[in-house]
Amino acid sequence: MKRTAILIFLFICQSLVVSAQKKQALTIRFNNRFGNEQLLPEQTYSLNNTDTLVVNRFKYYISNIQLTNTEGKTIIPENQYFLVDIADEKSLSIQLNIPEGNYTGIRFLLGVDSIRNVSGVQTGALDPLHGMFWTWNSGYIMAKLEGTASSSAIAGKQFTYHIGGFRKHHNTTRLIQLQSSVFTDSLTIVADAAKWFSGINISKEPVCHSPGALALRFADNYSKMFSISAAQ
Amino acid sequence: MRYQKTIAILLIFGIVCTGWMHLGNYFKPTPVRFQIPKGWPQPVYNFKENPLTKEGIELGRQLFYDTRLSKDGSISCGTCHQQFGAFNTYDHNLSHGFNNSLTTRNAPGLFNLAWQKEFMWDGGINHLDLQPLAPITAENEMAESLSNVIKKLQAEKEYRKLFKAAFGTETINTQSLTKAISQFLLTLVSSNSKYDRVKMGLDTFILPEKLGYEIFQRKCVSCHTEPLFTDYSYRNIGIPVDPFLKDLGRMKITNESSDSLKFRVPSLRNVMRTFPYGHDGRFFSVLSIMEHYRKNMVVSPTTDSLLKNRLPLSNFEIGQLTAFLYTLTDSSFLNNPNFAAPGKGISTTAPVDIHNN
Repeated sequence: MKRTAILIFLFICQSLVVSAQKKQALTIRFNNRFGNEQLLPEQTYSLNNTDTLVVNRFKYYISNIQLTNTEGKTIIPENQYFLVDIADEKSLSIQLNIPEGNYTGIRFLLGVDSIRNVSGVQTGALDPLHGMFWTWNSGYIMAKLEGTASSSAIAGKQFTYHIGGFRKHHNTTRLIQLQSSVFTDSLTIVADAAKWFSGINISKEPVCHSPGALALRFADNYSKMFSISAAQ
Repeated sequence: MRYQKTIAILLIFGIVCTGWMHLGNYFKPTPVRFQIPKGWPQPVYNFKENPLTKEGIELGRQLFYDTRLSKDGSISCGTCHQQFGAFNTYDHNLSHGFNNSLTTRNAPGLFNLAWQKEFMWDGGINHLDLQPLAPITAENEMAESLSNVIKKLQAEKEYRKLFKAAFGTETINTQSLTKAISQFLLTLVSSNSKYDRVKMGLDTFILPEKLGYEIFQRKCVSCHTEPLFTDYSYRNIGIPVDPFLKDLGRMKITNESSDSLKFRVPSLRNVMRTFPYGHDGRFFSVLSIMEHYRKNMVVSPTTDSLLKNRLPLSNFEIGQLTAFLYTLTDSSFLNNPNFAAPGKGISTTAPVDIHNN
């Protein structure tokens, strides 16, 4: 009887050890830029040396993060949704709890996967009160860029790009894959807002407020805005 | 022996005290079963994610009739969704919004929403819980931000209590706000019209109603499908575009030109109370929409295939159909005190219908 009890005790101890695989915190920082300059609200930037821009809002959703370790194994942390917003310093770095190890790759979704677009009202970063949800045509705004441009021909010389759409032909989420030198507890990702304007004529296309062809062009543009910071 | 008694008393006292302390944090709202009327399909609303409770429904009713949901405290959901009009805006083609603005579409009646998958005339909203966000934030409706609504409600002791009773926490967020409104809206089931009683064998149609029902089954039922009197599809019934509103309907949501000028088929339950008709309320009476179907339809490439030759209706048929449509009025729904503004009771004076009489 006593022996059985000891055996059970040892078994419990062992399973505890196995399940308590060592975890570590990973901090991912988003370094938002416009070209080579730091992107800050209300600052002036030059686009292609022809246009002068002021950015007022720059926000985007990050979700479904996956990591690859040096052994090539993929780690999938519990899915969380993050809203990166240049006006909110706290939102620029996100924390993940991951198994201890050395990592070289990251994959994530820019945007909010379709299931969260059709499941009613969400909480946290996905709460519609963050202004990243279309109330008249249900669905998340995956990313938003607003400001003024000298070439804009609408009231206030504005440009407002609210990019969304989750249905098959209008899907504006983009899977981002990045390779890095080895990292363990911190990673800095550069997001270059200037990339949004590739092939975009602000004077002709100052506004994008619905899913469709223009939104898809922006989505293809912002899929190329991320890179791993050289200085890790 | 002496001590034994004292110990026993102390123990009981301790248990009662602990029980009392826990009672304060005890959260168990009273569940309410959703009744599916006999012969009706399963609802599409997922009640598992928002189980109906007495407390949730009551909170939802308070919110539905609370003008604090609007920017200047002048408009509630109930302002434009009036019970005596089956929760439409009675006798209004468009509704009045914040600061003397007008909406761009007719406010439809609200009932049997548990069976409806998409909302708005164009189906742009894909979940009942999401629906209130549109009128609350629209500049020409309640014009308020969600964060302000939550701030205003959170400041009220009474609301903190109601939210705690319904959802177990005093902290209000968009999700609990909209789930409560949904709970109230889901209870708005209209299934007790004369038509329903006839179907159950409890009543009989008089001759014009019977003839009207037969015509209805020949000419109307393929879109206004029983028992909900809509198939929830989007169709172009030949209403030409309004040059000012320029409303292309479903196409705005899908970006497909084949959806141009398509709007959701409305339910015909309580139809004699929900005038005016059409997505922009341009038809002020049943007669005017019948005239549209038989004479005034503008047939275009996206006009519904069932209506390519318009809908031939004789004067006699219109008369009988109208008699049948009256049997879809559910007076027990229109007068149910549970759906009225809390504490105010139901208005007993039915408004005069100047268009259909």
